[in-house]
Amino acid sequence: MNENKLCEETYFNNFYLEHVQSASNFAFYKCGDKDGALDFVQDAFSKIWVNCSKIDFTKAKTYLFTTINNLFLNTIKHNKVVMEYAKATPYLDKTNESPDYILEEEEFKKKLQQAISLLSDAQREVFLLNRIEGKKYREIAELLDISQKAVEKRMSGALQILREHIENI
Amino acid sequence: MKNENNILKWFDNELSEQDIKELKQSEDNNTLEKIAFYAKQMQAPQVDAQKALAAFKERKLTKNEPKVIPLNFKTFMKVAAVLVVMLTSSYFLFFNNNMAFETQIAQNETLTLPDNSEVILNASSKLNYNKKTWKNKRNLELDGEAFFKVSKGKKFTVTTTAGTVQVLGTQFNVKERDNYFEVQCYEGLVSVTFNNETVKLPKGKTFRVVNGTIETVADFNAQNPSWLQDETSFDKIPLSQVVNELERQYDLKVSFDSVDTSQLFTGTFTHKDKNIALQSITIPLKLSYRIEGNQVTLYKYEN
Repeated sequence: MNENKLCEETYFNNFYLEHVQSASNFAFYKCGDKDGALDFVQDAFSKIWVNCSKIDFTKAKTYLFTTINNLFLNTIKHNKVVMEYAKATPYLDKTNESPDYILEEEEFKKKLQQAISLLSDAQREVFLLNRIEGKKYREIAELLDISQKAVEKRMSGALQILREHIENI
Repeated sequence: MKNENNILKWFDNELSEQDIKELKQSEDNNTLEKIAFYAKQMQAPQVDAQKALAAFKERKLTKNEPKVIPLNFKTFMKVAAVLVVMLTSSYFLFFNNNMAFETQIAQNETLTLPDNSEVILNASSKLNYNKKTWKNKRNLELDGEAFFKVSKGKKFTVTTTAGTVQVLGTQFNVKERDNYFEVQCYEGLVSVTFNNETVKLPKGKTFRVVNGTIETVADFNAQNPSWLQDETSFDKIPLSQVVNELERQYDLKVSFDSVDTSQLFTGTFTHKDKNIALQSITIPLKLSYRIEGNQVTLYKYEN
């Protein structure tokens, strides 16, 4: 067996730096715990490093996300996932600066936050991967090792629930 | 949810501007638009990648590298050597078809060959033959003296360093000692090859070579060689050869004290009593002897 690239320190470090953010995002979408998410990520990277000789380096990214997923499934308790908004973001209607409008939009953002936390794990991770990471359904399917059809179904379900909740409150 | 496909496409950025506008107008999709817009503004907690990597390195993990056990050449050679020794020794133990017989001084041995031929081996002689090829070739190697009673069959060959004896079925005696080669035929016909010359030997004839020269020997009438009756007969044989034979039958070391060892001896000595044997050799030649342990010295008593 050839010396696996993944076992080289520099290659691994680059791989780590490249994927640690998206991996920790992914973990966060699942568990909603900032520190817990990073723990999952570190554990997953540990597994890759320890088993570097057995892992095809072209499949390392998939392995990383699958491992995070599995680690998450192994933990029993997890927090409600409440997403934070980035600071100083524009409103949908950039020209409208009336206090009423702003209040209305802030209200909406809160509702959305709450609604997202009510989604199932599967729906939430697909929805957030799509929205925040801007990933295509195809990419998400690849990442989660499921079919694109399944991704679309989860997305559709997520949108329906979000809409119902926001409009009902 | 109406237009589900288009909505999904919209969220996947696969829908054109025109279609999005149409979709927005077709029904109240205000909420969806807001969901799409504000969800994008959300963010997961930022990770300081470098810091995380540093923390990761703190874990001090060891790689699970596949174990590579190099072929230890020395060990390999040791094992190979042991195998070779075992195989060769077992070959010689179980597949050795070479039959070897040897007699010591003052010892006779009677052997029966696979074809029921009989061989009587005189003292300090060696006989070899191959059991496997015996069916096809009755070949024997002889070093010393032996009497053969050959049963009828294929060519029977006795090879010695001095010459080769070939028969079909007869009785004969072969004596091959240092500088001495003698074949005596007791029955049938024996063919003797010596120095590429073949001599046919009928019953009662002797073929004898002493010191490389062929000697003519008088016919004999005996049925068996004399050594089978525990005595050895000589007919005009140099004293040195007689004494050699004596040494083989009695485990003695004979030395000479101004005695002509080339003088010829005709007579017989017994294998049973060394004093009688020594007397029967020395008296006719007007010699005397003294014994110290197994050292015997012959000397002329006249002087």
